[in-house]
Parts: sequence; C-alpha cells; structure tokens
Amino acid sequence: MKNISSLASGVALGSAGIMMMSVLSGCSAQQQEAQNRFVVIEQQANGKYIVIEEMPTDGPSRAIIREKDENGNTVERFMNEAEMKALAEQEYQKVQNGTSETVQDNGGSAGMGLAGTILAVAAGSLLGNMIGNALMNNKNFSKNATSSNKSAYSRSAASRASKTSSKKSFFGSSSKTASSRSYGS
Amino acid sequence: MIHLKKLNPLDDATLEELGFTWHTDEDGSKYVSDALVQISSEQAEAYYTATNEIYDMYVEAAEYVIENELFFDLGIPFNLVDAIKKSWENDVHWHIYGRFDLAGGIDGEQIKLIEFNADTPTGLFETALLQWALLKHNNMDEDSQFNNVYEAISNNFKRLITLFDELETFDERYDNWKILFSSIAGNDEEEATTKLLQQMATDAGFNTSFEYLENTHFDEDGIYDADENKYEYWFKLYPWEDIAHDEPELATTLTNIMDSQEAIILNPAYTLLFQSKGMLKILYDLFPDSPYLLQTSFEPLQGVKQVEKAVFGREGANTKIIGSDGTTIEQTDGPYDNYKKVYQKYVDFPKDSNGDKYQAGVFFAYEACGMSFRKGGEVMDNMSKFVGHVIV
Repeated sequence: MKNISSLASGVALGSAGIMMMSVLSGCSAQQQEAQNRFVVIEQQANGKYIVIEEMPTDGPSRAIIREKDENGNTVERFMNEAEMKALAEQEYQKVQNGTSETVQDNGGSAGMGLAGTILAVAAGSLLGNMIGNALMNNKNFSKNATSSNKSAYSRSAASRASKTSSKKSFFGSSSKTASSRSYGS
Repeated sequence: MIHLKKLNPLDDATLEELGFTWHTDEDGSKYVSDALVQISSEQAEAYYTATNEIYDMYVEAAEYVIENELFFDLGIPFNLVDAIKKSWENDVHWHIYGRFDLAGGIDGEQIKLIEFNADTPTGLFETALLQWALLKHNNMDEDSQFNNVYEAISNNFKRLITLFDELETFDERYDNWKILFSSIAGNDEEEATTKLLQQMATDAGFNTSFEYLENTHFDEDGIYDADENKYEYWFKLYPWEDIAHDEPELATTLTNIMDSQEAIILNPAYTLLFQSKGMLKILYDLFPDSPYLLQTSFEPLQGVKQVEKAVFGREGANTKIIGSDGTTIEQTDGPYDNYKKVYQKYVDFPKDSNGDKYQAGVFFAYEACGMSFRKGGEVMDNMSKFVGHVIV
C-alpha cells in the first residue's frame, strides 16, 4: 500500500484522538472540574519529554505518554490524574528544595524529565492554583513550561480586541434544520 | 458480494461521550452498522487512484465551464458567478475537503463516479473518528483502515498558508490569522461536523472560533462573530446555493468581501461548480473514455436504464430511477424539484448477502485520504446507514 496512509495510533487524530482514546479506554470522567487537561507527552530522541497535544477537559486530568522501548518502537501508556499528581508532587518537592530542573535555567533547550513536564503543563490543576501561580511567577519555570509545550492549544491562546459597529446578520428565518442529516447529500 | 465483519458495537452512551449524538435514525433504527466492510489493500488502492484522477478531471472541467461561461447549464445561481470566478482565480481560496460517492470497486467491478459532494460534505465524523473507534473498541489493528482523514484535512488547513510549498513553512508564514467556523443552530450533526473541522484547524496551528450562522455578522469590511471580532477566514457548513437563493443580499456582500480581500470563505465558491451534478455531463463530454464516468446528459437518455437527479439535490431527494423503456421504477420526493435535471446511466451498487447496497464515500483533501460506506436501497437517502471498513 504505497499510497494509502492509515492511522498508526490515536495520536494521529490530534486532540480529537486524545478525547477518543480517553473515552474508549474507560478513563473518561464523570465529575466536573475546571481547568483540567488532556495532554499527550512525547519522549524525544534525547530522552527529554515534550507536550505535543493539550486540550482542556471537564473531567479529571489525564495524559498519554509516548515513549520509545528498548527496541526503539513507540509505545503509549495512559496516565490517570492520581499518577500525574503523584509525579507533580514529587517534582514540587524538588522545587521547594531547589533541585528541580523546572526552576533551573536550562539555556533554552526544550524538554524536561517526565515529572517536570507534567508539573509544567498542569501544576495549577493538579496541585491547586496557588502553587500553579507561584510557579509561573518563577521566570525559569515559566520559560521551561513554554519551551516544553508544543501543543496547538498553548500556542493559540490569543487576546481578542473588541470594537463596536453595526453589522448585519442573516439566516434568521432559516427553516432548513428539519432533518437530522441535511446537507451531506 | 460485499463481505462483512461483525463487531461489538459501541453503545449509545459511549457514542454520545465521543460527541456523536446522531446515532439513531428517525425510525428508531441504528445509523451506524455493527459490521465493517472487508476490502483488500488493492481495492483500497483503486479507490485512492480513482478519486485522485476524478478530482483532476473536475479541475479541468471547471476551467472549461468558466472559460466558456457555462454557469447557466450547471444551474449556478447568477448572483454567485462573480464569487465563483474570483475564487477560481486565486489559490488562496483553497478547497479544504470534499467527498466522492462511488459505485463499484468490489468483485472486480469498475469504480464509477456517482457524484461529488464538494461544498458541505458530512459523514466526516463517522469516517475520520467513528470507524477508527470501532477498530480500537474491537481490539483490531488500527493500521488496517484507509483513513488518514483527520491528518489530511488538518494539513490541508495549513495549505491555506503554505499553498503548494512544504507544510513545514507554515509556522514561519502564519501570522495569527483567525478562522471562524459556523453552522446553523439546532442541528447536532452539522455542529459536530463543523466543530471537528475547527479542531483539525486548531491542531494545524490556526487560531479558531465557532459562531452559529445566525449570530455571525457581515458588512462590506468583513465577517465577525457575535462579539464583533473580525476573521480572516470563514468556514460555513451551509450550501452556497442556499445562500444565493435564500440570502441574496449576503451573496452580494460575500462577493464584495472577497473582492476587497477582507476574508476568505471556505469551502470556496467554486466548489458549487463541483457540487452541481451538471458537471457529470460536462465531465462525460470532456472525458468520454474515462473508465470512471457514467454517460450523463441534460436530456433523458434513449433506451437505457438511468437515474434522473436534480443538479443541487441532496441526500437522494428528488431522484428518479427510469427503466430502459422510459417507465419510472422508483422515485423519491423532496425540496429540490425546481432545480434543473441531469440523466445519468444507471449502475448497480455492490450488494451484501441480504441484498443491501453499498456506496463508497472517499474523502478528498489535497488527495484521497480515507473512505467509508453507506448502506441502503436503490437510492441512498437520509435513512441509509453508515458502515466503516477494514482492510484484510
């Protein structure tokens, strides 16, 4: 099949794949919590981890970790909120005693260890907003968090200007919604 | 004969959690089949090749229509002709995606073009996500599907910026231009389809938003959401011909917006040319030897079984199957009877052991990128069922 591409994994579905895999694996959530994240974290060739997909979720935080096994094959594992929190707490201990790479000046190179990456992407939702905000106020932490996150979500948070003028609206009287599947042909 | 592989279906609650709420048809029957069509990699490859060749023919035929001013022949509303020409002249009006409906392709039967849904195709969520989820749910090999739809459309959004250059140049060229996605309020399927496209564009790296059509604002200077934010791109899951007929003032405004380059509208206006079933006749005139085309005319064909279709009919409505003696064998009614008609030579669809018929739908986003099937009777209508596939 030289021409036909198929999906190698759910990650080829981008942020939609994260949601799908989460539902299908039974890891999706019932309770509602704000600011939580689905993330896909990928191990780089140098062993460091980078966030490649991120999206907000109403459920608990969860992650898909893509790593290389000893044969160089990509393997994926699911991480639930409790596991993420344990790693984030462990890394936060290191922040407090000054040994965490998240608060070191790493010279701008992207990627950190897994625990550091998880703390960087979801400190607020895992450990609470106070800790999250305090960490983001640390210049090195903020820089490392940004350089470890390649997701479209984090790149696309843009401010919106507001202005007023009188524009026209249309479609007000449209009655074309009767059938459940209407425009697809 | 279509061979099926039975599956453990996804239950309604899981489907809804996945964002797929239109799982049950009006008569209470399930819209998604609990089986997959088994095809070979050679058959998948043939669908891929056919679709790419058919798209190339459409591009040549559209050029021919524009050069020869054949808009009236295709039933194109006069108030969109300028918009079609303008969109055709500049590559920035990039065609994001479409879906070809095909007969044949199984048991050595020649693949034949039935029609091209170029403007507002649905079936996207089912093809890109749902049939993959069925493989995953049944612990089947995720590689065994011709389904690169999500990534291909996401990449095609990038081409709004990179055009024919390498996709890698997107990041350096993209300057935070925003895409607004719109569908009509109150239709779950259209909203989910539109929001899936939005997600693909977001993954591509675009800044995006969603606004219902009713709340989208327009003036000569551009297109705005309800908060008066202006957008460089507007994707509407709403047929161009309905804008022309039902909202003629908007058709004029959109043409002016394109003229002053205030916004780019997706899918581009020229996809209305592709969408017109009148193109099936133009294609047959230009490429009579193509193995993929069925004889098609603006007049009833003499002495052959044929299908009468409205040029802008959808979901199999206003379709008539006519026997070789001129008698009507089957017909569907609907809202499209006022449109011009075309007559396409009849071709039978592949059938399963129950006699149900299968139409292949191949998605196209720069190239053929994935496929699925619809199962139904003689005319594939709004009650036809979605059937995924697996390559065996």
